[in-house]
Amino acid sequence: MKELNLPGTQSTPTVTGNWDAGLLSISGDSYPENSFEMFGDIIAWVEGYLADSDHPLRVDLRIVYMNTSSVRAMLDIFDLLEEAHQQGRDVTVNWYYDPRNERVVSLADEFKEDCSFTFNIAPEKAA
Amino acid sequence: MKTGDTLLTDDPRFIQQIEDLLADPSHQDNPLRGPLAALLEQNRNQQERMERLVRISDGYHSLSRNEVGTLSQRYDRQLRRIEKLSRISDRYQESMRQLNISLREAALHDPLTGMGNRRYLMDRLREEVERVLRNNHSFSLAILDIDHFKQVNDTFGHETGDQLLCELAHVIPATLREYDICGRWGGEEFLIIFPHTSIDDSREVSERIRSTIHQVTLPSIVEAHPISASFGLTEYHHGEGYSETIKRADDALYRAKELGRNRVEVG
Repeated sequence: MKELNLPGTQSTPTVTGNWDAGLLSISGDSYPENSFEMFGDIIAWVEGYLADSDHPLRVDLRIVYMNTSSVRAMLDIFDLLEEAHQQGRDVTVNWYYDPRNERVVSLADEFKEDCSFTFNIAPEKAA
Repeated sequence: MKTGDTLLTDDPRFIQQIEDLLADPSHQDNPLRGPLAALLEQNRNQQERMERLVRISDGYHSLSRNEVGTLSQRYDRQLRRIEKLSRISDRYQESMRQLNISLREAALHDPLTGMGNRRYLMDRLREEVERVLRNNHSFSLAILDIDHFKQVNDTFGHETGDQLLCELAHVIPATLREYDICGRWGGEEFLIIFPHTSIDDSREVSERIRSTIHQVTLPSIVEAHPISASFGLTEYHHGEGYSETIKRADDALYRAKELGRNRVEVG
């Protein structure tokens, strides 16, 4: 498994994992009935990528709403990143938000709390 | 086995003493020498076995201590995780709740004047009809329409028209009684519900509003264009749907317009 491509639906975000670029993007709301299925694929991709080489990994997030099981899965992903970072891996998370929705900032801050890797929370530049 | 606090066999001097005695050639033929040598050997073996036992036992002990430590660390981590999860989840839930409230606000209110909109008024009407059916009281209803509103818009601009609507949205409720219900019915029309009120009483209140509106002035509207509104007033008839009540008020409003505006007509 090299590339990850999950097209977004109303209740699931668009997910792309670009192995060669070392870039994982998750965009959109996330409230699927079965988050473990969808996030299982993402977690497997991250684990696979981290185990395969020592190249850096960047994760770009554009998420507004998440249900509880999605939050839990996201914490799992951050745990993986933290573990890799502790072992000297170059890991970055960029959490982009719509400047009209400042509420997302404090939420992203909560996620960031226990992470020692680079975790940027930045307003999305106008397209 | 114990003498005082230390074992005799733990004292190296005592062991040395026995070893010296055994090695002494003058005791070579002593019949005690053989059994004593055997005892010393056995003691040595037991000593070694004891030390091995203690080492193994200590190993197990520290192993299980580590395990307990790891488990309690894992437990603490899981606990922190669950706390974090609930904190984040609560925040998401709260923001959904806030969104829900503002959507509800938006769905029931007119963005220009901040008054209840048509949907809001229809909800109130439905409630009022149900109340009447339970209590056997009645209610009155007025639709009022700003006179020559189109001219205001055309002459002074839409901004002035909007200002006028906002001014009336402020003036009308201020003139009403506390329990009366008022909202923006559409364009330049407002609807007022007078709960538990006869037509005579509601006519009085309507006249008061009409006269208040007639005194409204806006700096952007010149005096040559006095502001006024026409009213269609009616009482709810038992058993009818509220749309029939509205239709009667509408007809009365039409008559008020026909009869020269700035007046209250009862239907």
